[in-house]
Amino acid sequence: MSDPGGGLPHGAGADAALLAGGASLLPESAETGATPGIDPSTPRALLPLARALAAANRVMVGFGMLALLAASLVLTSSVVTRYLFKSSTDWQDETAVFLLVGATFLCGAFVQSIRGHVGIEAVSTLLSRKTDALRRIGVDLLCLAFCGLFAWKSWTLLHEAWVDKQTTSSSWAPPLWIPYLLMSLGMTLLSLQLIVHVAASVNRARAIAAGDR
Amino acid sequence: MSMLAIGLLFAGVTLLFMMSGAPIAFALGAVAVVFMAFFMPAASLDTITQNVYEEMASITLLSIPLFILKGAAIGRSRAGQDLYAALHAWMSRVPGGLGIANVFACALFAAMAGSSPATCSAIGSAGIPEMRKRGYSPGFAAGIIAAGGTLGILLPPSITMILYAVAAEQSLGRLFLAGIGPGLLLVALFAAYAVMRYRREHRSAIAAHASHGTASAMLDVDTYTLRQKVEMLPRVLPFVILLIGVMIALYGGFATPSETAGLGALLALLLIAVVYGVWRVKDVAPILSATLKESTMLMFIIGMSLLFSYVMSYLHISQSMAQWIVALHLSKWLLLAAILLLVVVLGFFLPPVSIILMTAPIILPPLKAAGFDLIWFGVLMTIVMEAGLIHPPVGLNLFVIKNIAPDITLGQIIRGVIPFVGLMFVAVVLICLLPGIATALPDAVMGAVPGAR
Repeated sequence: MSDPGGGLPHGAGADAALLAGGASLLPESAETGATPGIDPSTPRALLPLARALAAANRVMVGFGMLALLAASLVLTSSVVTRYLFKSSTDWQDETAVFLLVGATFLCGAFVQSIRGHVGIEAVSTLLSRKTDALRRIGVDLLCLAFCGLFAWKSWTLLHEAWVDKQTTSSSWAPPLWIPYLLMSLGMTLLSLQLIVHVAASVNRARAIAAGDR
Repeated sequence: MSMLAIGLLFAGVTLLFMMSGAPIAFALGAVAVVFMAFFMPAASLDTITQNVYEEMASITLLSIPLFILKGAAIGRSRAGQDLYAALHAWMSRVPGGLGIANVFACALFAAMAGSSPATCSAIGSAGIPEMRKRGYSPGFAAGIIAAGGTLGILLPPSITMILYAVAAEQSLGRLFLAGIGPGLLLVALFAAYAVMRYRREHRSAIAAHASHGTASAMLDVDTYTLRQKVEMLPRVLPFVILLIGVMIALYGGFATPSETAGLGALLALLLIAVVYGVWRVKDVAPILSATLKESTMLMFIIGMSLLFSYVMSYLHISQSMAQWIVALHLSKWLLLAAILLLVVVLGFFLPPVSIILMTAPIILPPLKAAGFDLIWFGVLMTIVMEAGLIHPPVGLNLFVIKNIAPDITLGQIIRGVIPFVGLMFVAVVLICLLPGIATALPDAVMGAVPGAR
């Protein structure tokens, strides 16, 4: 399977996209006919979920792109208004923070779907194929446990912020449920994506075990 | 449980999770959560999300995606090749000028794009074939580009420095300025080495020509007319103007570093639209999605590293480690050497982002107690981490070069790179002996810091 960053810890996988000239940014799947962002070992029962996630991720990347552009515009306008009107405004920084935090969390599942979250994969070359397949299951389970907990706690945080009408501490004081909602949505998508990946890893390990027999 | 036992357990679990091959972000987050569950009040698990959000919701940290966008915009245009072609033409009379042109092109591009691998790829894809055509040995050509590319994290705007400024609570503007002197020092060292090495290869080419008549391409001389040289300029100028404009906006007091990131990203997108006609959705979307991919990955690592550091500090692990280091009463310079060695070793495995956020709470207090200027140390640490980008076993730039010049073996690349790693450590020693290389410029522009050396 396509494994960006395989073996290299320094973000090589993610950088490769930046370097790939004019090529498409979604890494081509190693197997022909596979859809980008869908692990070819995904069990049949989960394919609808995997496809739905791939579609959702495309939408989220679209949002992320707009958020990046909007954040650039907002910060630029901040420089211009300060220069022209000599007035200091406080809404730009917080707007940019909300946009960029939102883009980060919403795109987390997309990056996971192409296995773009970089890890130290050095150990995988030392293991047999079978052991390595088991290691991958363990790793995916660990990630799922963490992200699942994080998603759950994001929703409780969102609920609290909504009920207590929490705002940021600035004088503009925008409501905090906005970034918390984006974080909750993003982490939930990421957890769903990891469920698909755990299942795919289990499937792959079984295929390898069957192949060895 | 004793402090030592908790500390060792924490280190052990961290090592286990990181080496398992799990994504760095989730491995760090999971370590934090496990220790929260066992060693911290039950309610602390309820606050992990708030914790991560509050740490991440800093406009300084969130300028990182915008700096990446600026770099991606420039990196994907033909700016790299144009810059390279122009420098090549202007340096053609100097012996070894091609090597120097490559070093300069890398430095300028790195300052515009702010990314080490993007620099290697943009300048290297034009520079390596050209140098080899001129008879430079493959390892030498690869070494110049790999080393030149690392200037990206030393010259402003550098993502590594943004994180250091946040972790060490130092002024980002000052740190950026402090990187310029050492950056120029490295450019000078690299260029001087390029000329020396060129003369050696040139001499052996002449000797080979004299003994068995095989004329190496190195002996060819090519000349550009002044007209050709002048015609090269217009394409490069906009980017040099962008670079200088951003610097003026930042240091002229017009914009904060994060506003500079937004402004820079927008200007870079406008420039590539005007100069290279890159403005259609299908042209710009890949730039944006490449940015999202890299920045999301980085921001996740940053957010979870901060959670990790929070737990480490709540459990007093970082403080105890720091106190323990202070209590060793090492001499000042031995302490510095030991800490830099630690950074080198960590550089074998971890990207600069994680090194800074994981070690800052442990190594900075002892350094501060020993009387070191933390801005100055930030520059040293950055250079050492830069070396980590090009030294084996896992230097990222090595693999980038391997990617753009597949016929150069990894062994040749590594042999070509080693002298440059040596030069980086020469620079570290020079900056230790003459701290002014780093601190003079920020002191001159922003005024001296009272109390610092």
